[in-house]
Amino acid sequence: MDKKIEILFPEFCNLYGDISNMKYLHKCIPKANFIETNFNDEPAFVTQKVDLIYMGPMTEKTQEKVIEKLKPYKQRIEQLIEENTVFLITGNAGEIFGKYIENEDGSKIEALGIFETYAKRNMMHRHNSNFIGKYEEIEIVGFKSQFTLGYGDNQKNYFAEVEKGIGLNEQSKLEGIKKNNFISTYVIGPILILNPEFTKKILEKIGIEEPKLALEEDLKNAYVQRLKELKSL
Amino acid sequence: MKKNLKFYIVLYLAKLSRIALKLIGRDATYFPGKLAVTLCPDFLGRIDKPKTIIGVTGTNGKTTVCNMIEDVLKENGYEFIDNHLGSNINSGLATALIEGATLLGKQKKELAVFEIDERSSVKIYPYITPTYLVCTNLFRDSLKRNAHTEFISSILSNNIPSQTTLILNGDDLIVSNLSPNNNRIYFGIDRLKTDTDKCENIVRDITVCPKCDSKLEYDFVRYNHIGRAHCIKCNFQSPKINYEVTNIDFEKMQMTIKSKSEEKYDLINNNIINIYNMLATITVLKELGLNQEQINPILKKQKIVDTRYSKEKEGNIEIITQLAKGMNPIACSRAFDYVRKEEGNKAVFILLDDLHEAANSSENIAWHYDTDYEFLNSESIKQILTGGARYLDTYVRLQIAQIPKEKIVHQREETTLVDKLNLKGIDKIFILHDLYSIDLKNQLKKKVKDKILEQNKQTEN
Repeated sequence: MDKKIEILFPEFCNLYGDISNMKYLHKCIPKANFIETNFNDEPAFVTQKVDLIYMGPMTEKTQEKVIEKLKPYKQRIEQLIEENTVFLITGNAGEIFGKYIENEDGSKIEALGIFETYAKRNMMHRHNSNFIGKYEEIEIVGFKSQFTLGYGDNQKNYFAEVEKGIGLNEQSKLEGIKKNNFISTYVIGPILILNPEFTKKILEKIGIEEPKLALEEDLKNAYVQRLKELKSL
Repeated sequence: MKKNLKFYIVLYLAKLSRIALKLIGRDATYFPGKLAVTLCPDFLGRIDKPKTIIGVTGTNGKTTVCNMIEDVLKENGYEFIDNHLGSNINSGLATALIEGATLLGKQKKELAVFEIDERSSVKIYPYITPTYLVCTNLFRDSLKRNAHTEFISSILSNNIPSQTTLILNGDDLIVSNLSPNNNRIYFGIDRLKTDTDKCENIVRDITVCPKCDSKLEYDFVRYNHIGRAHCIKCNFQSPKINYEVTNIDFEKMQMTIKSKSEEKYDLINNNIINIYNMLATITVLKELGLNQEQINPILKKQKIVDTRYSKEKEGNIEIITQLAKGMNPIACSRAFDYVRKEEGNKAVFILLDDLHEAANSSENIAWHYDTDYEFLNSESIKQILTGGARYLDTYVRLQIAQIPKEKIVHQREETTLVDKLNLKGIDKIFILHDLYSIDLKNQLKKKVKDKILEQNKQTEN
């Protein structure tokens, strides 16, 4: 059966070329059904079985709207996580699933509260860094560029162990959240294009055996060079 | 804000530093202002300002618009201070004000033209109130610094002084909503034949109504979020334009601008970006009280500086260099669009690495995926040659844009790319380069010229 991939709110959640992840995935699995759910639509995952749910980074105002939009579906999301549905959530989209987002003035925006982590905004100090982190046996490479840092305990459900750069915050060496097949990471941009082995892992998770990547050799060459370069910095 | 003893001490130190730097033959366009704002953080508030200040801000076009405003003013005998040799952040403005001030901190000239970095609004507008503030456009820019347009437009709106008259691009719905309570003048270009009903670009940063969050319907799209739109639910719509280009005659290279009357202006070149820059310049100068006779003869003599655009012919082949600011997806997409729409068979060099990043770190390449590389997937583009630290990434990006491998040359070393340039059947060669790659662009251009000359000699023999 053809795979079903849901992209949540692509008109908003695509600040740093992030939608390219899904365009690339489409090249890898051209027969899959990619559902683009706009903000005013009901997410497909509410009533259908989807194999992968993707959501990318968004502006701060949009975060607040998306939290309100997804609140009615909190139980459904928790159920899907328990049932091993694959989620790939990048950049500050991960904050939607945490406890709250705190503004500079101390006010808090209550989030979905599915995980114990929370975020603090600092709009005049943007954090930028390169990233290498180990997820299972794969060294994930990428970039972070964000106004927020994450806090809270992710020791039992982190996504990657940091080799270069930061984890949830500058003191943390544990990046993102992973519970069953739910993965969220602050890494932004074309994470799947930058990390061919990780992309294969995602494809395996959605049930594709021995996945073949589009432009695999060229992606691997760029990956090897980046990994070497980032390690040398 | 009053001048105090500390202010005077800092002013004299800054002036002395300027003299000292000049004596030893060093550039004094940055340090005096930097020293002043470091020692006296509210220095910009304490120093006198010229009576009239024209500020120019926005993602793309600020430098060009400032240069054009300054040239027209100069030729018409206006005296003014400016920051065109220095930086466009608070220290650059401070340097210009220090240079223009007497020892008592009074300004010698009554007019200033300042290019103002949008991100620096927080450090500038609390102290400086532009009489007119031009905003050319607001797009995604360096994601590491500027994040996203919502962030940039909010710091502008939160800091622009309420007394400032805004001169805004009315075709940019993000710009046209800046500081909604300020007095405002809009410039814009009426629908062109090349405009479309659908957005071809990857990025469009305003798709819903800023008032009610309903879907925005675009009446026409020029590129990205540039165009005219209205909300399908409430009364929100693109503003009424005060200075509108109603006709562009590309054959005569003239445009008609309708404001209180209709006037014709000569175009410098046919690139829509430059037409917007000219229109912004004309609008602010007209508001300042200049007339068409004072503006047009000078504006039409303008040349876009070589570092931004150049065109020359070697034999039968045109060599065009075009700035395509790295990390700025819209500027690069515009350059790609320009290339694809030019007539003839083309070869394109892409040198977009941020050399500063390449020297110190590894460039965050996310912006490449906001950039419309797909525009280069055109039958008329026969070869694409790319080099630099990120050549493997660019190679992948080009292929994701469905550009056939056979058309692409990619290698680390940039200058030897010319060895692989195939001139057969080529009418135009484009060299698209970053702001930091000017030397590289010049080297490459020379090698391209030599190659054409060599080929022509062989043909003659």
